[in-house]
Amino acid sequence: MIFLAVGTQFPFDRLVKAVDVAVTELSLGEEIIAQTGEGSYVPRNFKAVPFIDKNLFEKYISQASSVISHAGMGTIAAVLGYGKPMLVMPRQQKYGEVVNDHQLAIARKFEMSGHILVAYEAQDLAGKINQLKTFVPRERDSQHQMVAERIARFLTEISGEQKFGE
Amino acid sequence: MPKCMKICLAASAGGHLTQLLRLQSAWNGHSTFCVTTSDVVLEKLQKYGKVYVVGECNRQHLLKVLLVLIRCIRIILKERPDVMISTGAAVGCIMCFLGKVTGAKIVWVDSITNVDRLSLSGRLVWRIADLFLAQWQQLAEQHKNVEYAGKII
Repeated sequence: MIFLAVGTQFPFDRLVKAVDVAVTELSLGEEIIAQTGEGSYVPRNFKAVPFIDKNLFEKYISQASSVISHAGMGTIAAVLGYGKPMLVMPRQQKYGEVVNDHQLAIARKFEMSGHILVAYEAQDLAGKINQLKTFVPRERDSQHQMVAERIARFLTEISGEQKFGE
Repeated sequence: MPKCMKICLAASAGGHLTQLLRLQSAWNGHSTFCVTTSDVVLEKLQKYGKVYVVGECNRQHLLKVLLVLIRCIRIILKERPDVMISTGAAVGCIMCFLGKVTGAKIVWVDSITNVDRLSLSGRLVWRIADLFLAQWQQLAEQHKNVEYAGKII
Protein backbone atom coordinates (compact mmCIF):
# COMPACT_ATOMS: atom_id res chain seq x y z
CA MET A 1 0.00 0.00 0.00
CA ILE A 2 1.18 3.50 -0.82
CA PHE A 3 0.04 6.17 1.61
CA LEU A 4 -0.57 9.65 0.21
CA ALA A 5 -0.87 12.51 2.71
CA VAL A 6 -1.08 16.23 1.98
CA GLY A 7 -1.37 17.61 5.51
CA THR A 8 -4.28 19.41 7.06
CA GLN A 9 -3.73 23.14 6.89
CA PHE A 10 -4.26 23.90 3.21
CA PRO A 11 -5.46 21.91 0.20
CA PHE A 12 -2.82 20.54 -2.16
CA ASP A 13 -4.61 19.54 -5.36
CA ARG A 14 -1.43 19.76 -7.46
CA LEU A 15 -0.03 16.72 -5.67
CA VAL A 16 -3.28 14.74 -5.56
CA LYS A 17 -3.84 15.29 -9.27
CA ALA A 18 -0.24 14.46 -10.15
CA VAL A 19 -0.50 11.15 -8.28
CA ASP A 20 -3.83 10.42 -9.95
CA VAL A 21 -2.31 11.07 -13.39
CA ALA A 22 0.83 9.08 -12.56
CA VAL A 23 -1.26 6.07 -11.54
CA THR A 24 -2.78 5.90 -15.00
CA GLU A 25 0.69 6.07 -16.57
CA LEU A 26 2.33 3.51 -14.30
CA SER A 27 1.20 0.08 -13.35
CA LEU A 28 1.71 0.29 -9.63
CA GLY A 29 0.21 -3.00 -8.60
CA GLU A 30 -0.42 -1.42 -5.24
CA GLU A 31 -3.36 0.18 -3.51
CA ILE A 32 -3.22 3.87 -2.64
CA ILE A 33 -4.71 5.22 0.57
CA ALA A 34 -5.06 8.99 0.43
CA GLN A 35 -5.59 11.84 2.86
CA THR A 36 -6.21 14.88 0.69
CA GLY A 37 -7.40 17.70 2.98
CA GLU A 38 -9.95 20.20 1.81
CA GLY A 39 -8.98 20.11 -1.86
CA SER A 40 -11.52 20.26 -4.66
CA TYR A 41 -9.86 17.74 -7.00
CA VAL A 42 -11.52 14.32 -6.89
CA PRO A 43 -9.09 11.53 -7.81
CA ARG A 44 -10.37 8.85 -10.19
CA ASN A 45 -7.92 6.09 -9.38
CA PHE A 46 -8.07 5.90 -5.61
CA LYS A 47 -10.32 6.72 -2.71
CA ALA A 48 -9.54 9.80 -0.69
CA VAL A 49 -10.58 11.09 2.72
CA PRO A 50 -10.06 14.73 3.74
CA PHE A 51 -8.72 14.06 7.23
CA ILE A 52 -7.66 11.15 9.41
CA ASP A 53 -6.78 11.12 13.09
CA LYS A 54 -3.26 10.87 14.40
CA ASN A 55 -3.44 7.17 15.29
CA LEU A 56 -4.68 6.15 11.88
CA PHE A 57 -2.08 8.39 10.29
CA GLU A 58 0.68 6.56 12.17
CA LYS A 59 -0.90 3.20 11.36
CA TYR A 60 -0.98 3.92 7.62
CA ILE A 61 2.65 5.01 7.67
CA SER A 62 3.70 1.89 9.54
CA GLN A 63 1.83 -0.34 7.07
CA ALA A 64 2.76 1.47 3.86
CA SER A 65 5.46 0.24 1.52
CA SER A 66 6.18 3.91 0.79
CA VAL A 67 4.73 7.33 1.44
CA ILE A 68 4.04 10.24 -0.90
CA SER A 69 3.34 13.58 0.77
CA HIS A 70 3.81 17.31 0.96
CA ALA A 71 7.11 18.40 2.53
CA GLY A 72 5.65 19.06 5.98
CA MET A 73 8.19 18.53 8.72
CA GLY A 74 5.76 16.56 10.89
CA THR A 75 5.09 14.08 8.11
CA ILE A 76 8.75 13.79 7.12
CA ALA A 77 9.73 13.16 10.73
CA ALA A 78 7.04 10.53 11.17
CA VAL A 79 7.90 8.68 7.96
CA LEU A 80 11.67 8.77 8.56
CA GLY A 81 10.92 7.51 12.05
CA TYR A 82 9.50 4.35 10.49
CA GLY A 83 12.35 4.18 7.98
CA LYS A 84 9.94 4.15 5.03
CA PRO A 85 10.87 5.27 1.52
CA MET A 86 9.36 8.69 0.98
CA LEU A 87 8.64 10.96 -1.97
CA VAL A 88 7.64 14.53 -1.24
CA MET A 89 6.33 17.36 -3.35
CA PRO A 90 7.04 20.65 -1.61
CA ARG A 91 4.21 23.15 -1.46
CA GLN A 92 5.27 26.29 -3.24
CA GLN A 93 4.47 29.91 -2.64
CA LYS A 94 4.28 30.67 -6.37
CA TYR A 95 1.33 28.27 -6.67
CA GLY A 96 -0.39 29.76 -3.62
CA GLU A 97 -0.02 26.49 -1.71
CA VAL A 98 1.71 27.91 1.32
CA VAL A 99 2.70 31.31 2.72
CA ASN A 100 6.45 30.87 2.23
CA ASP A 101 8.90 28.47 0.62
CA HIS A 102 10.13 26.68 3.73
CA GLN A 103 8.88 23.34 2.32
CA LEU A 104 11.07 23.85 -0.72
CA ALA A 105 14.11 24.49 1.46
CA ILE A 106 13.40 21.53 3.74
CA ALA A 107 12.82 19.20 0.76
CA ARG A 108 16.15 20.19 -0.81
CA LYS A 109 18.04 19.60 2.44
CA PHE A 110 16.58 16.16 3.08
CA GLU A 111 16.97 15.22 -0.57
CA MET A 112 20.65 16.16 -0.52
CA SER A 113 21.22 14.09 2.59
CA GLY A 114 19.67 11.04 0.90
CA HIS A 115 16.70 10.72 3.21
CA ILE A 116 13.88 11.37 0.74
CA LEU A 117 13.05 11.71 -2.95
CA VAL A 118 11.58 14.99 -4.20
CA ALA A 119 9.31 15.86 -7.11
CA TYR A 120 9.34 19.62 -7.43
CA GLU A 121 6.88 19.79 -10.31
CA ALA A 122 3.89 17.64 -11.26
CA GLN A 123 5.60 16.28 -14.38
CA ASP A 124 8.46 14.87 -12.26
CA LEU A 125 6.18 12.76 -10.13
CA ALA A 126 5.68 9.61 -12.21
CA GLY A 127 9.42 9.19 -12.71
CA LYS A 128 10.06 9.66 -9.01
CA ILE A 129 7.39 7.13 -8.07
CA ASN A 130 9.31 4.63 -10.17
CA GLN A 131 12.49 5.44 -8.27
CA LEU A 132 10.64 5.12 -4.99
CA LYS A 133 10.21 1.37 -5.53
CA THR A 134 13.92 0.77 -5.10
CA PHE A 135 14.84 3.79 -3.01
CA VAL A 136 16.51 3.01 0.32
CA PRO A 137 16.49 6.06 2.57
CA ARG A 138 19.66 6.83 4.46
CA GLU A 139 19.28 6.03 8.11
CA ARG A 140 18.54 8.99 10.26
CA ASP A 141 21.14 9.83 12.87
CA SER A 142 19.12 11.12 15.72
CA GLN A 143 20.80 13.94 17.55
CA HIS A 144 17.89 15.00 19.69
CA GLN A 145 19.63 13.60 22.74
CA MET A 146 22.59 15.93 22.16
CA VAL A 147 20.27 18.92 21.99
CA ALA A 148 18.47 17.78 25.14
CA GLU A 149 21.80 17.39 26.93
CA ARG A 150 22.85 20.90 25.94
CA ILE A 151 19.66 22.29 27.46
CA ALA A 152 20.00 20.12 30.56
CA ARG A 153 23.52 21.49 31.04
CA PHE A 154 22.21 25.03 30.75
CA LEU A 155 19.48 24.29 33.30
CA THR A 156 22.06 22.92 35.72
CA GLU A 157 24.17 26.04 35.27
CA ILE A 158 21.35 28.46 35.96
CA SER A 159 19.71 26.50 38.76
CA GLY A 160 22.56 27.62 40.99
CA GLU A 161 21.93 31.30 40.17
CA GLN A 162 18.15 31.34 40.44
CA LYS A 163 16.59 32.96 43.47
CA PHE A 164 13.68 31.11 44.93
CA GLY A 165 10.81 32.06 47.18
CA GLU A 166 11.00 35.76 46.49
CA MET B 1 21.66 17.49 41.75
CA PRO B 2 20.32 20.80 40.41
CA LYS B 3 17.49 22.50 42.24
CA CYS B 4 14.04 21.82 40.94
CA MET B 5 12.89 24.71 38.77
CA LYS B 6 9.53 25.49 37.28
CA ILE B 7 9.79 25.26 33.52
CA CYS B 8 7.26 26.43 30.97
CA LEU B 9 7.17 24.39 27.76
CA ALA B 10 5.60 26.51 25.03
CA ALA B 11 4.99 25.46 21.43
CA SER B 12 2.30 25.56 18.76
CA ALA B 13 0.50 22.26 18.24
CA GLY B 14 2.02 20.30 15.35
CA GLY B 15 5.64 20.17 14.25
CA HIS B 16 6.86 22.73 16.78
CA LEU B 17 5.46 20.71 19.66
CA THR B 18 6.72 17.43 18.22
CA GLN B 19 10.23 18.86 18.21
CA LEU B 20 9.92 20.23 21.73
CA LEU B 21 8.74 16.92 23.20
CA ARG B 22 11.68 15.06 21.70
CA LEU B 23 13.78 17.04 24.18
CA GLN B 24 11.97 15.70 27.23
CA SER B 25 15.08 14.32 28.90
CA ALA B 26 16.36 17.92 29.14
CA TRP B 27 13.92 18.86 31.90
CA ASN B 28 14.19 15.67 33.96
CA GLY B 29 13.86 16.45 37.66
CA HIS B 30 12.21 19.82 37.12
CA SER B 31 8.53 20.64 37.30
CA THR B 32 6.85 21.66 34.05
CA PHE B 33 3.69 23.13 32.64
CA CYS B 34 2.70 23.62 29.00
CA VAL B 35 1.29 26.34 26.80
CA THR B 36 0.05 25.35 23.36
CA THR B 37 -2.43 26.35 20.69
CA SER B 38 -4.91 23.52 20.27
CA ASP B 39 -6.59 20.96 22.50
CA VAL B 40 -5.95 18.15 20.00
CA VAL B 41 -2.57 17.70 21.69
CA LEU B 42 -3.88 17.55 25.28
CA GLU B 43 -3.38 13.82 25.54
CA LYS B 44 0.19 14.05 24.31
CA LEU B 45 0.99 16.64 26.98
CA GLN B 46 -0.60 14.89 29.93
CA LYS B 47 2.63 13.88 31.57
CA TYR B 48 4.14 17.37 31.41
CA GLY B 49 2.05 19.05 34.09
CA LYS B 50 -0.77 21.50 33.68
CA VAL B 51 -1.63 22.36 30.09
CA TYR B 52 -2.90 25.75 28.96
CA VAL B 53 -4.52 25.94 25.53
CA VAL B 54 -4.50 29.55 24.32
CA GLY B 55 -5.75 29.10 20.75
CA GLU B 56 -4.15 29.60 17.37
CA CYS B 57 -2.60 32.89 16.43
CA ASN B 58 -0.48 34.26 13.63
CA ARG B 59 0.42 37.59 12.12
CA GLN B 60 -2.61 37.55 9.81
CA HIS B 61 -5.14 37.81 12.62
CA LEU B 62 -4.25 40.63 14.95
CA LEU B 63 -7.36 40.32 17.08
CA LYS B 64 -6.53 36.69 17.81
CA VAL B 65 -2.99 37.68 18.68
CA LEU B 66 -4.39 40.13 21.22
CA LEU B 67 -6.64 37.49 22.74
CA VAL B 68 -3.79 35.00 22.97
CA LEU B 69 -1.58 37.71 24.45
CA ILE B 70 -4.06 38.38 27.24
CA ARG B 71 -4.35 34.68 28.02
CA CYS B 72 -0.57 34.34 28.07
CA ILE B 73 -0.18 37.30 30.45
CA ARG B 74 -2.59 35.63 32.86
CA ILE B 75 -0.66 32.37 32.67
CA ILE B 76 2.70 34.04 33.26
CA LEU B 77 1.43 36.02 36.24
CA LYS B 78 -0.11 32.93 37.75
CA GLU B 79 2.72 30.47 37.11
CA ARG B 80 5.86 32.64 37.26
CA PRO B 81 8.15 30.08 35.59
CA ASP B 82 11.91 30.12 36.24
CA VAL B 83 12.65 28.99 32.68
CA MET B 84 10.90 29.17 29.31
CA ILE B 85 11.70 26.51 26.73
CA SER B 86 10.19 26.97 23.28
CA THR B 87 10.55 25.78 19.71
CA GLY B 88 8.08 28.39 18.38
CA ALA B 89 6.10 29.69 16.78
CA ALA B 90 4.13 32.86 17.66
CA VAL B 91 2.84 31.54 20.97
CA GLY B 92 6.33 30.54 22.01
CA CYS B 93 7.59 33.97 21.07
CA ILE B 94 4.90 35.69 23.14
CA MET B 95 5.53 33.47 26.15
CA CYS B 96 9.28 34.07 25.95
CA PHE B 97 8.89 37.85 25.99
CA LEU B 98 6.42 37.71 28.86
CA GLY B 99 8.64 35.27 30.72
CA LYS B 100 11.61 37.57 30.29
CA VAL B 101 9.68 40.43 31.86
CA THR B 102 8.93 38.31 34.91
CA GLY B 103 12.53 37.18 35.23
CA ALA B 104 12.55 33.76 33.57
CA LYS B 105 15.57 32.46 31.65
CA ILE B 106 14.79 31.92 27.99
CA VAL B 107 15.75 28.81 26.01
CA TRP B 108 14.84 28.94 22.32
CA VAL B 109 15.34 26.10 19.86
CA ASP B 110 14.62 27.32 16.36
CA SER B 111 12.50 24.90 14.34
CA ILE B 112 14.29 22.65 11.86
CA THR B 113 12.07 23.98 9.08
CA ASN B 114 14.08 27.20 9.09
CA VAL B 115 16.92 26.24 6.83
CA ASP B 116 18.19 29.43 5.23
CA ARG B 117 17.38 31.91 7.96
CA LEU B 118 16.08 31.89 11.50
CA SER B 119 12.32 31.97 11.97
CA LEU B 120 10.67 35.35 12.45
CA SER B 121 9.83 34.40 16.05
CA GLY B 122 13.39 33.23 16.51
CA ARG B 123 14.83 36.50 15.24
CA LEU B 124 12.68 38.39 17.75
CA VAL B 125 13.50 36.11 20.68
CA TRP B 126 17.20 36.10 19.76
CA ARG B 127 17.64 39.47 21.51
CA ILE B 128 16.40 38.16 24.84
CA ALA B 129 17.34 34.48 24.76
CA ASP B 130 19.75 33.07 27.35
CA LEU B 131 20.34 29.96 25.27
CA PHE B 132 19.55 30.00 21.56
CA LEU B 133 19.97 26.82 19.52
CA ALA B 134 19.58 26.48 15.76
CA GLN B 135 19.25 23.14 14.00
CA TRP B 136 21.45 23.99 11.05
CA GLN B 137 25.17 24.57 11.47
CA GLN B 138 25.32 27.46 9.01
CA LEU B 139 22.66 29.43 10.90
CA ALA B 140 24.72 29.17 14.05
CA GLU B 141 27.74 30.45 12.14
CA GLN B 142 25.81 33.41 10.78
CA HIS B 143 24.55 34.69 14.13
CA LYS B 144 26.27 35.72 17.32
CA ASN B 145 25.10 33.79 20.38
CA VAL B 146 23.44 31.07 18.33
CA GLU B 147 24.67 27.55 18.97
CA TYR B 148 24.31 24.37 16.96
CA ALA B 149 23.95 21.28 19.13
CA GLY B 150 22.39 18.94 16.57
CA LYS B 151 19.05 18.28 14.95
CA ILE B 152 16.04 17.23 16.96
CA ILE B 153 14.30 15.51 14.05
